[in-house]
Amino acid sequence: MNPIGAIDPARCMKCGFCMSVCPVYIHDRVETHVARGRNMLIKMVAENRLPRDNAYRASLTYCLLCRRCESVCPAGLLPAEITIHARHDVVKKSRPSLLRRLVHRAMVGNRAVIAQLIGMASVLPGVSVKNGKPMRHLAEAASILSGNLSLPSGALRSFARPIPRHARPAAGVAVKGRIAIFPGCVFEFFMAEIARDMITALARAGFEVYFPQGLSCCGHAVYSDGEFKTARLMAERNIRVLSNFDRVVTGCATCGSALKGYAGWFEKNDPMHGLAADLARRSVDFTQLLHAADFKPPEPAGIGRSVTYHDPCHMRWHQGISESPRRLLQSISGISYREMEGADACCGLGGAFGLTHRQIGLRLLDEKMTAIRRSGAQTVVTACPGCLLHLKAGARRHHLPVQVLHISRLMAGPNP
Amino acid sequence: MNRFKSIIAGLSEIVGPSGVLTESTDLVAYSYDGTSNWHATPDVVVLPTTTEQVAAVMQLAYDQEIPVTVRGAGTNLSGGSIPVEGGIVLCMTRMDRILDIDAANFTATVEVGVVLNKFNQALARQNLFFPPDPQSFLAATIGGCAAENSGGPYAVKYGIFKHYLLGMQIVLPGGRILNLGGKTVKNVTGYDLTLLLCGSEGTLAVITSVTLRLLPRPETRQTILAIFDEVTTAGGAVHRIRQSGLIPAKIEMIDNWIIRRIEEMSPLGLPRAAEAILLFELDGNSAAVENESREVIRLCREADAVDVRPAKDAEEAENFWAARRAGFSAIWGNSPTVLAEDVTVPTDRMAELISTIQTISRRHDVPVVMIGHAGDGNLHPCILTDKKNAEHFHRAEQVASEIFSTALALGGVISGEHGIGLEKKKFLKLAMEPGAIELLKSIKQVFDPKGLLNPGKIWEAGP
Repeated sequence: MNPIGAIDPARCMKCGFCMSVCPVYIHDRVETHVARGRNMLIKMVAENRLPRDNAYRASLTYCLLCRRCESVCPAGLLPAEITIHARHDVVKKSRPSLLRRLVHRAMVGNRAVIAQLIGMASVLPGVSVKNGKPMRHLAEAASILSGNLSLPSGALRSFARPIPRHARPAAGVAVKGRIAIFPGCVFEFFMAEIARDMITALARAGFEVYFPQGLSCCGHAVYSDGEFKTARLMAERNIRVLSNFDRVVTGCATCGSALKGYAGWFEKNDPMHGLAADLARRSVDFTQLLHAADFKPPEPAGIGRSVTYHDPCHMRWHQGISESPRRLLQSISGISYREMEGADACCGLGGAFGLTHRQIGLRLLDEKMTAIRRSGAQTVVTACPGCLLHLKAGARRHHLPVQVLHISRLMAGPNP
Repeated sequence: MNRFKSIIAGLSEIVGPSGVLTESTDLVAYSYDGTSNWHATPDVVVLPTTTEQVAAVMQLAYDQEIPVTVRGAGTNLSGGSIPVEGGIVLCMTRMDRILDIDAANFTATVEVGVVLNKFNQALARQNLFFPPDPQSFLAATIGGCAAENSGGPYAVKYGIFKHYLLGMQIVLPGGRILNLGGKTVKNVTGYDLTLLLCGSEGTLAVITSVTLRLLPRPETRQTILAIFDEVTTAGGAVHRIRQSGLIPAKIEMIDNWIIRRIEEMSPLGLPRAAEAILLFELDGNSAAVENESREVIRLCREADAVDVRPAKDAEEAENFWAARRAGFSAIWGNSPTVLAEDVTVPTDRMAELISTIQTISRRHDVPVVMIGHAGDGNLHPCILTDKKNAEHFHRAEQVASEIFSTALALGGVISGEHGIGLEKKKFLKLAMEPGAIELLKSIKQVFDPKGLLNPGKIWEAGP
């Protein structure tokens, strides 16, 4: 996965090109918070010329892991991966809290229980499991609840209507293939209507859809925190559960990035490495698959007709996907598609970043809202649960009368 | 309260606490530039947002006798922005407003923290163009370009930074704010202090904003790639084209080592045996560009080019230039330490310079890779070495020294666009008469009597 040397910070040629695109640097202009500066710090720590002190640890948190800088790096470095490995190096040398370890471990196999606990806890006023050090993913949902970003009303109700485990195309439609969907924590437990919309659209496109039992959290956020051990357990479980499907479809940008990137989580000589690379070849984003299948989205109902698309970093920079969602939206009859300025600019959430570095996150969000307002769109479509929540929070903050939807809502047709 | 704490408190009062950085990590992040072998940490980093703040910082530094090293994006290649004596790094990146674009008079006034590429993007929306193009343009700030008198491939036709500098606002050591020059192309009013500051490497005053001359954006561009099996034949082609009276916007050269790396990384189908490739860009109105392209192709063929390929479209042109840019990353990717030199000779001596450098490289058994601005005689011999291998590094320094002597013997200079900074200060005596160096020191004394601004640069200490 990673070209040799691409995660060696000493290969940074210090050209500073990362400074031209880094959303964090563009806002605070502090070199400690951009890849060039961080590469130098990580290199010096590795050479024992700097201590792993609090200032160093803090500097490792100032990265959205959006991977935008990779697109301009002449040395072909992967600065986000370098940062993640540096976080791992810190994790290795310090013991995470018992609670954190327990929750992470439980998320490998007992996600539903955790989700329910979070769901229950979230309705108690003043409850925060965040405590400055947010647990990730499922746990992040809890952080979001306590971090002044609320889940859409009805999120918890989705427990009441389970996601179907199996769906077929309508009778008479030729079956294009047997696929698994990987909804991920948020779309499984907090926004299950999105998983249902995905299944509806995929079946309509001619796929026989399975929602396999026993999946784990994708582990993206755990891996990003440098907790490789737990992340690998999660990846391993998912790789095994998904081993029998021709295609694995993700609708969450983050999960998609994880499934396609698992190979990089394992050493080359680990047998899991090859299995992970195989899963990467079978993994496909929801929009990619529908676009490739020449899917004709149904006539929309109940949504604003002028639509714009926000590129999640985990789609645009992690997976290189920008065309398929736009082509799909443009193919909907009765929709007028409007490109916003800086559609590929980060919304400012970046997982826990937007909560731990709220001021930077809010500045990015404010710019995104200005771009949306200028586009004149009534409906903002995206493909990432984090972006979805953050854009909704932004619309409330700016009193912007726009609907924020996952792209599957426009692919599935009117609510049944 | 000790002295350091009271200074930090004073600085925080001027720029606000978010503009003062003192963590060990912050100091490291401002300890280097684009070179691979210079490091020095400051005691504090200050990020001002207004000229008044700069003036107050300079006054405090003057009163307390603290060294101040001004920095933009830190992409320079001379060690010039390294705070060798510690003290304050005054980082100008938060002063990033474009104050005025005057399309009617073809001028613009910008704060120094504006990034060159952002500036050109803003100009393009009004069909305007600012030609000086150091290849760090994605990150480099206008202030850094002014202080280093930067140029790039466009120098052939359009010249370098100083040709576009009309006026500036500066802050002197001590804190006095002055406005120099104006906004007209013609201006003969006393000594040209604006030009004196341009290329002064941050040693005389802090530049806070500049007024620049602009050009209308050329209507169209054409890129042509020409392949040669001898470096000297390529040199001959450049000479022929220059003599014909044509002025291409850019004439760039890459050597065989880089051609092979490009073919390994992202193949363009270049012959691996080719000794040199020339890249031309022609610009202007479409009829002229068409004529000139034909002429360049004909002249290259006459000069024994193995192959000449005009770019079919903008995309192919971009691929050719991307390969040129990839050259530098290939160099850095293949060597722990790179001494990126910057010698410049009269254009008709370029081929001679290259073949002499090849001989020097072989004699010392140190690889030297060459990228150059063939059209203006500016060559970047990149010496590949490893600072950790003392014996090899010593030979590399020997190679550098001989390259400088060669350039000077050919009637050239030791730096075309990077500046002297730290990297070349021990060679200054070779390149400048003692009387002229004395003048430099006297001028420095007038501007900065306490010697606080960017100390330790350009010339060596002592008589």
